[in-house]
Amino acid sequence: MHEFGVTKSLVDLCNQEAANNGIKKVHRIHLKVGRFTGFSPDSIQFYFEHLKVNTRCSSASIVFEEIPIKISCGKCHKRSVIDEPVLLCPNCGSDKIDLISGREFSVASIEGE
Amino acid sequence: MRCMKGAELMKKIKVLKPVLVSNQQRARENRNIFDRINCLVINIIASPGAGKTSFIKNLVTGMKKTYKILVIEGDIKGQIDSESISRLGVDVIQINTATECHLDAFMTAQVLPKIKKNYDLILVENIGNLVCPAEFDIGEDFKLAILSTPEGDDKPLKYPLLFHLARVVVINKCDLLPYVDFRPEVAKRNVRKENPRAVIFEVSSKTEQGFEKVFKYVSKEINARKKKNKH
Repeated sequence: MHEFGVTKSLVDLCNQEAANNGIKKVHRIHLKVGRFTGFSPDSIQFYFEHLKVNTRCSSASIVFEEIPIKISCGKCHKRSVIDEPVLLCPNCGSDKIDLISGREFSVASIEGE
Repeated sequence: MRCMKGAELMKKIKVLKPVLVSNQQRARENRNIFDRINCLVINIIASPGAGKTSFIKNLVTGMKKTYKILVIEGDIKGQIDSESISRLGVDVIQINTATECHLDAFMTAQVLPKIKKNYDLILVENIGNLVCPAEFDIGEDFKLAILSTPEGDDKPLKYPLLFHLARVVVINKCDLLPYVDFRPEVAKRNVRKENPRAVIFEVSSKTEQGFEKVFKYVSKEINARKKKNKH
């Protein structure tokens, strides 16, 4: 549900960046979405189709890059990619975990003319 | 990077900015305002009916003699909770979000000019929801998640982000333990799977059981915040 506001922020950010860089028409937005965020690409896509109308992004599409959840263990020092956000080391079971990636929600780049 | 596409010049621009960059910026500004007020700010998040308002009322009742407290009450609609909290004799500011399912830094910023004096503690009651409020920094010192026993001990695994981000997790409605299938040890283990460093309290807002420990913790945090602000 909160993707409406979030997608509005996405469109605003891309329009602003396009304007700052002399892009009148954005073709592609490269968006990184970590697997440990509360954002659903399907919902973002749904709202984007409505929110992009009459902006520099009106003919843009979003290229989603899903970022896996990566953790580093403070005990055995092994780095692992985990499917579910359960922060236990799959190697030694320790809970001394640092999250390396998975919380990203950022615009990597935009393409346009 | 540039390349020719027909007669037009195609460009690829590196942005490398979080989508919520403006919310983050506004949250930083809110934090500066809270610094000037010199108070601890707790963002309280839970599902509807988990007992956020009752928890806040217990906290207010137990701590209002020692500390100046403000409650910022977030609701989609209405002022029922604000009215019941203000009857305890503390200041309350209402935010109605209309359609939004969470508070963000901008909605919080809108009511900050209404703060006319200094407080030791600001309790922000977020919208009842375990998903959306987790992603939005409002400028708080920490998030406090409430999990009530009728909801089930598996909730931390179903809503991992909130329990990962909450510094404090309160298990509420412990007076109902004889009647519900909630295993406190399993719930705590599930919280720690998301957040090994979580501070966990078990309370009942109905019987006031377990609140002494919460008061002690919040007092310690208020004092630590003031000390940090001095430096």
